[in-house]
Amino acid sequence: MKNCFKLPIGIICIAAFLIGCGSQNPYLSKGKELIKSDKRRKEERAAQQFKLAIQHEQNNAEAHYLLGYYNSEKFYAEGAPERAQASIEERGKHMFQAYQNDKRKYLEILVFETLRDRDVDVQNAALNALKRIYQQADRKKLLNSLKKAIKSNDNRDRHDAQWVLAALGREHPETIVPLLVDLLEDKRRETRLNVVRALGAIGNESAIPVLVEVVNSGSAKREKDREDAEIRGLAVEALGKIGGTAVEKLVEIVENKGSSMRVDAMQALEQLGDERAVKPLLDVLNEQGNREVVVNF
Amino acid sequence: MIWKIKLSFLLIVAVLCAIGCSDNRYYDEQLQMELQQLDSDLDNRWSTTGVVIIDVKPNGPAGQGDLEKGELVSYVIGERPIRSTGDYKQAAKKALEDDNNFIVKLTDGREIRLAVRKRGDKVGLEVDESRVSKVTPGSPADTGNIKVGDTIESIIDERNVRTLKDYKEALKEFTKYDSKVTFRTIELIGIKIASVNALGNLGDVRSVQPLTMILDSEGSTLRQPAAEALDRLVALSQLNTLFQQFQQANVDELPADQLDSRQRQSAEILGLLTSDLENNLVTLNDPFGTQFRHRSEALYEKITDGQMVELARKYIKRDVEPNQEIRRACISILGHLRPTSAIEDLVAVMEDSMEVPGIRFKAGLALSQIGKDSVDALIAAFDRGDASIKDIAASALGNIGGNKARNTLINALNTIDNPTIKLTLADAVAKVGRAPSIEALRRQKEALPEGSGLRTFLDELQVLLFNVESKYQAHLNSENISVELRQEFRDNKISLSQSAIISVQKKDSEWWIDDKDNQRVYIVRKESRKVEGKLNIYEPLETQSISYSAAN
Repeated sequence: MKNCFKLPIGIICIAAFLIGCGSQNPYLSKGKELIKSDKRRKEERAAQQFKLAIQHEQNNAEAHYLLGYYNSEKFYAEGAPERAQASIEERGKHMFQAYQNDKRKYLEILVFETLRDRDVDVQNAALNALKRIYQQADRKKLLNSLKKAIKSNDNRDRHDAQWVLAALGREHPETIVPLLVDLLEDKRRETRLNVVRALGAIGNESAIPVLVEVVNSGSAKREKDREDAEIRGLAVEALGKIGGTAVEKLVEIVENKGSSMRVDAMQALEQLGDERAVKPLLDVLNEQGNREVVVNF
Repeated sequence: MIWKIKLSFLLIVAVLCAIGCSDNRYYDEQLQMELQQLDSDLDNRWSTTGVVIIDVKPNGPAGQGDLEKGELVSYVIGERPIRSTGDYKQAAKKALEDDNNFIVKLTDGREIRLAVRKRGDKVGLEVDESRVSKVTPGSPADTGNIKVGDTIESIIDERNVRTLKDYKEALKEFTKYDSKVTFRTIELIGIKIASVNALGNLGDVRSVQPLTMILDSEGSTLRQPAAEALDRLVALSQLNTLFQQFQQANVDELPADQLDSRQRQSAEILGLLTSDLENNLVTLNDPFGTQFRHRSEALYEKITDGQMVELARKYIKRDVEPNQEIRRACISILGHLRPTSAIEDLVAVMEDSMEVPGIRFKAGLALSQIGKDSVDALIAAFDRGDASIKDIAASALGNIGGNKARNTLINALNTIDNPTIKLTLADAVAKVGRAPSIEALRRQKEALPEGSGLRTFLDELQVLLFNVESKYQAHLNSENISVELRQEFRDNKISLSQSAIISVQKKDSEWWIDDKDNQRVYIVRKESRKVEGKLNIYEPLETQSISYSAAN
């Protein structure tokens, strides 16, 4: 009885293996071989192979990913139709198609590997793909993955996630800003640092109250409630980037004589060039000090 | 039941603790003022400790005592009268609790600070009622020169206040035996400097008067930052015309390089990259640009009302202003405002052999910014001055240009032997440029022995011939000598042969025209520092070397 089962399973396994080998796209293998080789213009030639691989097999995730990764405008002459096919936009599309054909694997790769690439074009293509995922696919899984990255113990992951969240946040502040605000509670200092940076880069006014809270935490009585000085400085900088109604908050920091962030706030106001800064700055010049005052009671 | 009471008690304790902990403010009922704890890291960032007064009731003791809102209290000082042995013992013990020193005030008026090395050490005094009965030899009291028989009036204790708790304890202690307390407050000079710097860049007319007052006040640490901020405000005010032009919205027609190097700096402060008009447009349309355009006219009027010139003229004098950075800033202000009334003062700075060389040179530069009106004064200074004055005056004359300046320079070149000055003179003549300059320099060169330092310098010298509109840039980039360009040369008495060719050395900024038939090479350069974005045409004194490398 047992053997009856084992045999078909074995056959299926072998068959699957054979099919797998046979269906390994020949163009894809050739392209990958090229990349590993030390041949001249290997990336350019590999890109051609990946294009053929996709023609041969439209839903091959790996071929899409590799084409998105390697295809570059610099392979083609100005004005050539292939050049337009190698734009960041198109490369992002291919990376997105890779994701659509193997969601779990390529979401992980895009967030934790592709963004790390040294080539800015590759980073931008990955960003483009991630934006597509946000708009057209599983937003929740994407955001979870980015949250994981910004909480990572690897600085590169945190930095990349910050960059992507800032870019997404500029387009969708209503979702991204609250997500980042929650992350301000994270126990990892470097995570909070990147969160504050992202909030500044997004520049949305809805982040103002929480940033002000971060800045003012310096005078909290309990040490654990006080945010680190560097992060508080970045929060001031972020308020400067947000501008608009944040100017009033920056003025309040300048007016708060006990704040250690007054100079930072002044510099932020100076950069904004807002004339609401002039009066409080002039008041600072009139502050009394350096004297002895006798009080009778 | 008991369990329940316990729980609610715990709850109350917890709530009370939470309220207490989150509270970083304290209202002092007795003195009627409210204090706040400083940010904990202010200590590291500004080496500042203390508590800040955030509110003062005007009629309360603090208000009557003239304490102000915003002041930082770093020390609370109390004085305890000594009438008995017990008074002394207790006062000394208390005073040494927080730090290791206190002040003994004697009836003869002396105030002696006694400091012990570590906690528990004795100051070495024994007191009978208020009279010193024994001084331990070698003790702090002994080295402080207190003698048996001196009478102690009081003990003064200074308490460093780091937290609200310190403040409360000090007050509680001092108010026990005296009806007055002294507060020592500190000035956050770093904050004020930052504020002055920011005001200098904000370009608002309201800052001019206060900054002027600081500069005019005696002994303030803020004088130098104020002078430098005023210098920046003056530079910004000079952008007014530019801003008004921008306001007429015809941004594309504004010559991108209309600014001198200082204005360029200011424009950069404003975020205006003057070479990129598209960028400028964006900046000017953002809130700052819009606001500044509205503010710039008022600033311009205030800065040019004459007072600024008077102020700057006053503080460029070494006998009035000891701080060289302030003198430097004031010379820079005069360079921006170009008042003819300052020529004499600037010449005096230039001639002052005790002045810092860089400042003397800057005075020369300011004179060249004033321009033609200072030519006579510069020539006079050149004639009567020593080598260093001649050097500065010659380069200023070269910057101003014109026939009068050139004649003086060429004349000097022919009569002066000092090689250093000759170098400056040759350079200045080349800057003035045009045909007479070339001729004079060629004559100089031929008279010099091959291989001499000056000759090598002259070989590499390029003489400014004339300039053309920037519209020729496209002609030059296309390596094509157009009819119009040829005509420009002809208008300046230079004929280009048909075989002359253009080579682009650096797209949009440098081109060479090689005229083999006439054995001439011309260099066309776009220089943002020079006149209004025009293209300057130079001729190298030694055609051979350039021509050779052009062929390569």
